[in-house]
Amino acid sequence: MRRPRVRSLRGASLLRLRVALLLIAMVVSVFAARLFQLQGVDAQAYVAKARAEGVVTAPLPADRGEITDRNGEPLAESVDGLMLVADPTLTSKHAAALAEIVARRLDVDYFDTLTRLRKPDTHFQYVARRVPAAKARGVVAAAQARGFEGLDTRRDPVRDYPAHDVAANLVGFMNAEGDPGEGAELMFDHLLSGKDGSTTYEVGGGNRIPLGDNSVVQPQRGHDLHLTIDRDVQWYAQRVVRSAVQTSGSSSGAAVVMDSRTGQLLALADYPTFDANDPTGSPERDLGSRALRDVYEPGSVEKVLTMSSLLDAGKVTPQTRVTVPPELRRGDRVIHDWFPHGKLHLTLTGVIAKSSNIGTVLAATQFQHVELWRYLRKFGLGQRTGIGVHGESPGMLADWHNWSQINQDTIAFGQGLSVNAVQMTAAVNAIANRGVYVSPSLVKGEARTSTGELVGSDTATQHRVVSQRAARLTAQMMESVPNPETGTAPKAAIEGYRVAGKTGTAQRVGKRCGCYDGTFTVSFAGFAPADDPRFTVYVVAQDPKNGGGGGSIGGPVFHKIMSYLLQKYAVPPTGTKAPTPKIEW
Amino acid sequence: MSVWGNEARTRVPRIAEAAVERARLTVVPRVPRSRAARMPFVVLVSLLLVGGVAGLLCFNTSMQQSSFQVTALEDEATALDAQEQSLTLELGALRDPQRVAQRAKRLGMVPPASPAVLRLSDGKVLGDATPAAPGDGVRLTPYPTVKPANLRPKPIVIEMDPKPVEATRGSAHPGTEGGASGPADATGPGTNSHHGEQGSQR
Repeated sequence: MRRPRVRSLRGASLLRLRVALLLIAMVVSVFAARLFQLQGVDAQAYVAKARAEGVVTAPLPADRGEITDRNGEPLAESVDGLMLVADPTLTSKHAAALAEIVARRLDVDYFDTLTRLRKPDTHFQYVARRVPAAKARGVVAAAQARGFEGLDTRRDPVRDYPAHDVAANLVGFMNAEGDPGEGAELMFDHLLSGKDGSTTYEVGGGNRIPLGDNSVVQPQRGHDLHLTIDRDVQWYAQRVVRSAVQTSGSSSGAAVVMDSRTGQLLALADYPTFDANDPTGSPERDLGSRALRDVYEPGSVEKVLTMSSLLDAGKVTPQTRVTVPPELRRGDRVIHDWFPHGKLHLTLTGVIAKSSNIGTVLAATQFQHVELWRYLRKFGLGQRTGIGVHGESPGMLADWHNWSQINQDTIAFGQGLSVNAVQMTAAVNAIANRGVYVSPSLVKGEARTSTGELVGSDTATQHRVVSQRAARLTAQMMESVPNPETGTAPKAAIEGYRVAGKTGTAQRVGKRCGCYDGTFTVSFAGFAPADDPRFTVYVVAQDPKNGGGGGSIGGPVFHKIMSYLLQKYAVPPTGTKAPTPKIEW
Repeated sequence: MSVWGNEARTRVPRIAEAAVERARLTVVPRVPRSRAARMPFVVLVSLLLVGGVAGLLCFNTSMQQSSFQVTALEDEATALDAQEQSLTLELGALRDPQRVAQRAKRLGMVPPASPAVLRLSDGKVLGDATPAAPGDGVRLTPYPTVKPANLRPKPIVIEMDPKPVEATRGSAHPGTEGGASGPADATGPGTNSHHGEQGSQR
């Protein structure tokens, strides 16, 4: 009786088990099929759907580094502006009204804004970028006041140049697209720009969902760049140069101020220049630094390089007697002086004081071509200074193998070779710095340019060009130039101080004919105090229309800038007396 | 063969009968267990459960609350940041050397013409300490832009015989020269023939 009952019970549960197993297997295979569909077939579509459901990705722009002067005064700084962004799924309904609000308050195009506000299938559109914070918030508030949703603001740095045109020729500018346009902004862009980040998070009702997806890539702030420029000196130099260029009717002008001992540029003023906050308001040719890009023939200022070389080689002394004829016939050319004269009996100091071409040529005949060439190369002529400015010209100093006698003669007094203003300043500074050439620098510390060069005051190099004695004697000869009794630039003299200088008035090669077209380059280079130089100032003006020379145009500019420097840096007079120059015999 | 086999089958159990009897399975008699009180355990578990749920709820709520607070504070920080930045901008504009110089000039200040230094150790003035004169100033603003040539029309000069004019005006201008005075007197842009006429009369 018992046995059959047990067997039947067992059979029933087995059946149930099997049925259940079958059901489970069916369900599981449905799940598996669905899983495969979700993960294998449609995966990307679902990921995208999930993203669209309240997940926000926003860029986090990196702050651009500051550009400051040597004292940390800002020349270019990034201000925390805002960008105006829109969520078109919310704005498309009232796009026309919103676009009107935006276009009226900000400098954006109405129709462009309209298309952006209506863009389908997106939650994020830029409406305006680099807007001052207050303005951007005003727009959002105005939109919300009328009940329109979907406009929002995010951080977006604005580039500001607080001193406008001061050092704009060196700092450069950022264009409307936010790309660097010129100058240090361009040359050190990779250093300044930093790295943009981004943030992704889920939102619900305008707030972040605390346990939702949330990832942030922090932006990396760009590095700051410090220039050796002194903003106040730069400002003053720019105003003085502008005034001089405008009163003399010159086409352009520049002034370079260098710390004699370190070669650091305290100012590099150009005129015409531009307002870095409004670069489009100036012609393109004014956006760079002429002092570095344009080359010209230096004229008589170069004579001091020739003289110091002759002194260093031991071929002359400041008292060497030179008989200067009214004119000098060299081959098929005739060399004249800038002033008509009969036969003159000048000492070498007199040759510098009176700026006699003929006297210089006669003294320089004691040099072989190669000797003069070597000295001038050591003074840095014909090669880039490498201070880290985009598009610096190397100037031209022809190889001595190709020189004929007339080349040496003209090069000895500064024609037939070309320089840029910083090169010439550095060359004269070698005499101020006791015969040691210091490579000029514009960047304080060191920084790598976009072309991969390491530049800056930390990498400045030095080499001796002429002996200390030769440099001292040359400086004494140069003291006769600002001397009202002997020299060509009495307006350069500074009461109470010993000043050494040299004027230059060079024939200028015109752009049109490629020959000397009767226009001039006038310049003045000098340093003070002459027996312990602290600053070297070089002034150059192109094509003055008022008939002025290096002494009458460059001299006063030098005087003003140098007085300002001595006052600002509290340099006392050395208290020594300049030796009375003996210029004739 | 078969007889042997049957005998064996019946005999074997009999031989091991005692052992089989001993190995037979029987139900173990129930041992009375000591019963722990069930109530405290139930209470503990339910307390844990309720406490956990309530705690989680509180935690979630406070997290939501702090999320709102974070958003609010972040907004405030951004606003303050923007304010600081705009103040910095303003300060930068005030410190602009051009502006400072223009203010100083309005107060009648000029840069010193000749630098002088006061030595503190003995109170001696080094350099030439003469007061600056108004002429030592530097022009701070550029000259007004000159209009390009095509926007500066040439003055129109009309030369005419002075006699008929004199005739109309009588002898009021006896010294008037012939019609050569035009260029010197011609006025700037917008000069018309009428002006030219007047110019030639003077």
